[in-house]
Amino acid sequence: MTTAPPVAKPTRLHVPGRRQQVAALSRERLMLVMLLFLAAILGIVLKIMYLTFTGQSFDDRAAGLTSLPLRPDIVDRNGETLARTIDAWSIGVHADRLLTRPEDLAPQLAVLMPEKTADQYLALLKSRKHFIYLRRRAMPELVEAVNALGEPGMAFAREPERLYPQAELAAHVLGWTNLDGTGVTGMEKLLDKRMTDPKYAGKPVTLSIDSRVQAAVEKELAQAMLNFQARGATGIVLDVHSGEVIALTSLPSFNPNDPGRSPPETRFNQAITGVYELGSTFKPITIAAAMDAGVVTSLSKRYDATAPLKVGKFSIRDDHPTKRWLNVPEMLVHSSNIVTARIADELGKDRLNGMFMRLGFGEPVSIELAGRGRPIQPVFWARTTTMTAGYGHGIAVTPMHLAKAYAALMNGGIMHPVTLLKREPGAIVPGTRVISPQVSYRLRQFTRMVVLEGTGKQANAPGLRVGGKTGTAEKASQGGYARKSLVSTFAGVFPVDDPKYAIVMMLDEPKGTAETYGYATAGWTAAPVVRKVVARIGPLLGIIPDARKDIPLEDIKPLIWHPKEGEE
Amino acid sequence: MRPGIIPAPIMNLPWRLLLPVMFIAGFGCVVLYSAAGGHVQPWAFSQGLRFFVFLGLAIFLGRIKQNSWKAVAFPAYIIICVLLFIVELFGAVKGGSQRWIDLGFIRLQPSELMKIAIVLAIARFYDIMPAGEIRRWNAIWIPLVMIGLPAGLVLLQPDLGTATMVIAGGITVMFLAGLPLRLFIGGGLAALAALPILWFSMHDYQRNRVLIFLDPESDPLGTGYHISQSKIAIGSGGIFGKGFLNGSQSHLDYLPEGHTDFVFATMFEEWGLVGATLLIAAYFMIVRYAMQVANRSQDKFGRLLASGLGCTIFYYFSVNIMMVMGLAPVVGIPLPMFSFGGSALMTLMICFGMLMSIDRANRRSGQFI
Repeated sequence: MTTAPPVAKPTRLHVPGRRQQVAALSRERLMLVMLLFLAAILGIVLKIMYLTFTGQSFDDRAAGLTSLPLRPDIVDRNGETLARTIDAWSIGVHADRLLTRPEDLAPQLAVLMPEKTADQYLALLKSRKHFIYLRRRAMPELVEAVNALGEPGMAFAREPERLYPQAELAAHVLGWTNLDGTGVTGMEKLLDKRMTDPKYAGKPVTLSIDSRVQAAVEKELAQAMLNFQARGATGIVLDVHSGEVIALTSLPSFNPNDPGRSPPETRFNQAITGVYELGSTFKPITIAAAMDAGVVTSLSKRYDATAPLKVGKFSIRDDHPTKRWLNVPEMLVHSSNIVTARIADELGKDRLNGMFMRLGFGEPVSIELAGRGRPIQPVFWARTTTMTAGYGHGIAVTPMHLAKAYAALMNGGIMHPVTLLKREPGAIVPGTRVISPQVSYRLRQFTRMVVLEGTGKQANAPGLRVGGKTGTAEKASQGGYARKSLVSTFAGVFPVDDPKYAIVMMLDEPKGTAETYGYATAGWTAAPVVRKVVARIGPLLGIIPDARKDIPLEDIKPLIWHPKEGEE
Repeated sequence: MRPGIIPAPIMNLPWRLLLPVMFIAGFGCVVLYSAAGGHVQPWAFSQGLRFFVFLGLAIFLGRIKQNSWKAVAFPAYIIICVLLFIVELFGAVKGGSQRWIDLGFIRLQPSELMKIAIVLAIARFYDIMPAGEIRRWNAIWIPLVMIGLPAGLVLLQPDLGTATMVIAGGITVMFLAGLPLRLFIGGGLAALAALPILWFSMHDYQRNRVLIFLDPESDPLGTGYHISQSKIAIGSGGIFGKGFLNGSQSHLDYLPEGHTDFVFATMFEEWGLVGATLLIAAYFMIVRYAMQVANRSQDKFGRLLASGLGCTIFYYFSVNIMMVMGLAPVVGIPLPMFSFGGSALMTLMICFGMLMSIDRANRRSGQFI
């Protein structure tokens, strides 16, 4: 142990006064420093108090994740989940704060998240960037495994993820959300405001869609598309009294869980965006207009269909020439263009177009989705324009327009706005009358005859009383019509004796098969889909198959002439 | 000396220093235990062990004569400067930045030791300088060079936080030595004017941190995440905290680095305002002890060294706490003794050793006067 006191060297003792002075100054400085420190600590304490009493608390956040509640579910009309938000996590790394050697960490990351190689991870870790996302939407097990690596430079953040558990089901209706949880398309986009409104937190949105019906429609259409090598297919099932869309599909579809992976054309919604010339499915509309206007005075009145109808240079012919005079029910059963053209001519442009406008063919369908297609109407109504428009040529609408029009024509004559949101039971649905109940009744009889005896035979689901009309249109291409590119449609209602649902099935460019004897027309392609779909969904929707029930046809059947046995 | 049950060498230890030190370290281990989800592994146990080892070192250093510190002041400063230089070279060879030298059993960070060495060297400089010279030009430029050289080397690593601490420690000793006040006011204004130049010489991530510091909510999931989350943790703590082992923010890993730089927020969530106040009070008692040692010192070197070390300790914990609360940019300074990690603990324990050494010298010299 030392005993020498730490005294200053004697050389400096000759200015003791100066030294004392400096020491006093030094103590003064010490006091100054201590005062500054006290002030700093006071500042810190004040800030702590401020944070304690005004700061955002974790509990506030747990109640509403940084004031944003979890996006509510989307459910179908029966409460089945179509879209749900679950807790997922994002994994990131602070590359400038690693404690592990990047060489050690990179291979471990490559094992856990194989989407990148160890070398790529090494490059990321060595970049010294402050923050890099390694994985968005990680499941808790993965987060746990990465956390177990024990590297404090890894960062995890809670990131709610939108899941569509039914994958492609009703994808075009639902749309999807981006990584920030904002709706991009479909109902997700439309409902974005409501979805982020804390008022509605935890309250699911109920769509009008019935996922069981939707699944049946998608399954049968996909099968038909494959069978007939069609480019696309569309199906709509509509409640004729409430305007609720029970099913809406456009194939090929996409998976909203990963929309980026599907080709862009799959995101095109043919049902509400695509406009098509829908051909003979327009004939009931023309007849409805003519009967409502009193142009058709008697159901037994016959029109000349013995030869193609020549108007100027133009010639209208039948696909299945009957070479006789046909009455109105026969015209629909045989789908005669000539007779429809004659009736449309008698009716005139104003009254025909007036019916189109009343049915909403002048504007996009009012429905919740974006990208609603605007119908293409004739620019100039020549006499022939009226005639061809009568059987669905020269005017193009979306399949949804057609479904909505059929629902109105068949339900007794009242058109209701369509919706993808479930209506409350007993809610009063607005509606406008477009035709009289009597004409509507006749149309149901006629379309039932089409299915029983005409081009729509293959749509006849046993006991479910389907009534409807086929339509096969050649696709317009380069100034003319492409004979081989068809749009085959069936539009109808069931059960026709007490209409509940309108149904439209459309195949885009189907090819004939051996089973159909090479025919790709609607009667051979779209009609069978309707039979299969209705057979499946009828019982689901509470319609009991009953072979004894049907719309009374006693007054119509005698009007249809049948060739006697052996006679052609 | 009265005979007692407790042996004299233990009685004579400066308990006014050691009690708050033990309180902080003990409290730190409790928080680390909770941050690990109620386990002593991986943090609490090794931190506790390290504390006792370094406490032994501090008590041992406290037995060293004050004059020996005088003797080692300049050599230590020069050796650490050289080490900093070597680290810089190593880093250049390895193609990245490296802050430490791996000695096998410990990763030695020369920049960490420089926080003490700069105080030691500047104190020694003013000690040697005759009192009359204090208003000469020499009393200014030589210490500035002595500070500038290591600070520059640390800044090159790049480690803004440590560089700032080195500069602050050196300047503080200059201030305590009695340089004219106007120099500091003028220097402060000049520094303010030089801020734009500093801004343009900073690394992107450093600039980013300053920007985020100014507005942490601008990037709540990116760089500002730390600050936002730690503010939320503090907000959740309230007056009495959520209680031991009940901090959801830190347990659910919302709070990044909840056991190192942001351990204060982890503590706050569970122990609230009460825990924070006790912790800050304990740190302040340590600083107060250093200042009292300085005040009692009859010797210029002891006075400057003790007060300089006290200031260094103060900067250490206050910058960390301010950083956690969003009062300072995130510069990567741990809460010494409380955070998991050995470097800061070692630095502080060396400081305590020196303080105890000066304290002993004071008492001894007191007997002679």
